[in-house]
Amino acid sequence: MKPFQSIAVGYDGSHDATVAARWAMEAAKDFGAVVTIVHATGLREHLHQQYVPDVTPPELIALAQECAFEESGLHWLVANGDPCSVLLRMASPPINADMLVVGSRGEGKREGLLLGSTSLEVAEHASVPVVVVPSSYVER
Amino acid sequence: MVLVVNETFDDSSHEDAGHPERPDRLVAARTAIDDLHLDEDLVVVPAHSATREELVRVHIGNYLDELSAYCYSGGGDIDQDTYATLNSFTIAKYAAGSGLAVIDELQRRNDGVGFVAARPPGHHALADRAMGFCLLNNVAVAAAALRSQGERVLIVDWDVHHGNGTQQIFWDVPEVLYVSTHQWPLFPGTGSVNEVGGRHATDRTVNIPLPPGATGDVVRRGIDEMAGPVIDAFDPTWVLVSAGFDAHREDPMADLRLTSGDFALMARGVSDYAPQPGRLVMFLEGGYDLDALRSSIHASLSAALGQTYDGESPSNGGPGTEQIERMRQARRSTIELLHTSDDEESTR
Repeated sequence: MKPFQSIAVGYDGSHDATVAARWAMEAAKDFGAVVTIVHATGLREHLHQQYVPDVTPPELIALAQECAFEESGLHWLVANGDPCSVLLRMASPPINADMLVVGSRGEGKREGLLLGSTSLEVAEHASVPVVVVPSSYVER
Repeated sequence: MVLVVNETFDDSSHEDAGHPERPDRLVAARTAIDDLHLDEDLVVVPAHSATREELVRVHIGNYLDELSAYCYSGGGDIDQDTYATLNSFTIAKYAAGSGLAVIDELQRRNDGVGFVAARPPGHHALADRAMGFCLLNNVAVAAAALRSQGERVLIVDWDVHHGNGTQQIFWDVPEVLYVSTHQWPLFPGTGSVNEVGGRHATDRTVNIPLPPGATGDVVRRGIDEMAGPVIDAFDPTWVLVSAGFDAHREDPMADLRLTSGDFALMARGVSDYAPQPGRLVMFLEGGYDLDALRSSIHASLSAALGQTYDGESPSNGGPGTEQIERMRQARRSTIELLHTSDDEESTR
């Protein structure tokens, strides 16, 4: 099997998304992959933009440093759409992610239902392997 | 000419505190209708709750089951934009079914213009997923019903956001032509000029993405020059409009610069594509500034009914005109490329 070269992670600033980003950086070090952290800009976010393109959130830079992950391999992307569609798009050009990583559950979601669960929706529709990182995950 | 509208249904419990997609939007829509003073020329038909048979023409059964279970167990946030409450599935079925009731009445009369004042809106709802405030795709349910009767349906979507759900549902359906004007880039990130339809429906999707600041003259020119020839060749038997009013300059959700006068001109324009009276229905989609929503609905309905509209003047002079010819050529190239690859495949 070819090692993974491009890993995309969905990010909404939540604890679960941060855990997923951490896992992706740790895995990327092993694979020698680049990591694209992508934030989906929703319809309502037009009213109060939470994240902007070209400015990697400082908490992610800090996370990369904590994981000893080279900043040059970290890419930040802000894309219009719902989280599921945006993450699925990462498997296509120009990103060509060969692995999608998502936290187990974003903010305010209910357990056990496909509806409202980005991770389950992504897993159902993705064309590349999907890793769902549990919110309680700690590197062993 | 009569205006056929759906009866009011109780949508008050589909609400999330502080959310812009709120019950007051329908109050504004109904006020706009009242402002027309149509008296006996206003025909109100009973609201209709879409049946499962009517919904599965566009949505997959598993999604309907999930959505129903989600709502009846109390609802909650579906994504960062989209919510559901205990009664949302019931309300959404009325929103999806009301277009069918309006169409029935127009078919019976062979006269009039239809307007579906319903929420939640629908054009972002995919076959298997809710998103962008939308649970069920109202205009798609109506178009699919007409298609099942052998009709050729033109959907013009002038909401400021691309109707990704409607595009997806009819992507490979030759009997439905989907035309969208929308701000680009913006949510939901789809709606590129190169998205032209599937293998069996190449040329049945026309996207007209416009830059922030674009004014009504640019939108109308985009429709005339990019979509006009395609619509003429398609020769629709029905015209449905995904009538969002969030391209108005006062709307907080986007950056186009349209006025209610622009919507009047656009409504007049789409009326011309209907082959006869009684074949045009507008469906409320977005629009979040209540005053702009009210005046824009009023303007659109006035124009579609052939009345004079003397409110806000149409806007002009915004950016985007210069890119329309480039977009038209890019679209043509994409279609030629798809046809070439199809020809190559068939000769193998």
